[in-house]
Amino acid sequence: MTSPADLPLDGDDQVVLDRLAGIYAQLDPPPADLDERVTFAIALDDADAELARLSRRLMAGSGARSTERTRTITFDADSRAVMITVAARPDGLVRIDGWLAPAAVLRVELRLLEPEPPRVVLADSAGRFVFDGVPHGIAQLLVHQPADDAAPRVITPAFSL
Amino acid sequence: MAAVALGSGEAGTGSAAADRSVTDRAARVGACLERARSGETSALGEIVRELNPLLWHVARGEGLAAEEAADVVQTTWLELVRRLHDIRSPQALTSWLVTATRREAWRVRELSRRKDPDGAARLAAVPDPAPGPGEQLLADEQDQVLWQHVQRLPERCRKLLRVVAHVSRPDYAAVAQALGMPIGSIGPTRGRCLAKLREMLRADPGWSR
Repeated sequence: MTSPADLPLDGDDQVVLDRLAGIYAQLDPPPADLDERVTFAIALDDADAELARLSRRLMAGSGARSTERTRTITFDADSRAVMITVAARPDGLVRIDGWLAPAAVLRVELRLLEPEPPRVVLADSAGRFVFDGVPHGIAQLLVHQPADDAAPRVITPAFSL
Repeated sequence: MAAVALGSGEAGTGSAAADRSVTDRAARVGACLERARSGETSALGEIVRELNPLLWHVARGEGLAAEEAADVVQTTWLELVRRLHDIRSPQALTSWLVTATRREAWRVRELSRRKDPDGAARLAAVPDPAPGPGEQLLADEQDQVLWQHVQRLPERCRKLLRVVAHVSRPDYAAVAQALGMPIGSIGPTRGRCLAKLREMLRADPGWSR
């Protein structure tokens, strides 16, 4: 005799599975901005760039002094790590202090959701860079190589500021 | 073309209209892939919105916290953009994404374990959304009945059904294979987990089907 497990899926199975999908949508929905984060990140048409993966996320200063909330995020690529500290300013904007390791004088670009234009700064010889007065929202970092260097640029995933 | 064959292979549950929508979807996804391959990655937007819930539940099913799961889903799409030329069909796309999401989720879970050994227990404890209070959050009585039974299934089954529930019909066979589920001669079979759940529901007078 055939076990019920070996029978093909039927309409009643589909009813159960559809209802189950509905339950998970209620109990554990994806973050509201997940689609936007993904479409923003993949819209950067650069399949050759080296992808830095998010490797660590730390929260600090939460609680009583919430105006000084900061977050530290580390992205790791094979060629370089990018670490940023995001601090909320009292005026509702944020300041980003970043470091490249190994340190190098390279152009660092902060890509923001349109219509906000991208910002570009130069990291100093210690690998430090700063973006100040940045609006909240989705962002992505690009570390450019010098024009005479064939190495691919490094891009991070999109993250929320 | 594979989608047409798959659609009719599931004729037991489908109608001509359903088969047509299966074909339409395959054509639509195929066209988006084609545009993306020629450099227009924004063409993937529609597929992203359609498949993100599935990938989210794959990552959450592997025991990742919400933020980590969201990162894993995004990394998977960024990887896809680098592999577009290897993806031959809409079905191959979904199973590639599911496989890549699982692999990335394992990688991230392994990393968090190494960095934060105490966190491992915490991670292992969150494969299910709000276990327990879930029932109170569900307004619909049939949902409550179903959820009670789902929670009685072994963890392996809950993880599998959570993913399978988010797979759209034309992708079943390909995704089932990626998840190591058995496939019968005319398509995916119900499998032990769903068979067990159906048996529990049949014995419950509170379940009306």
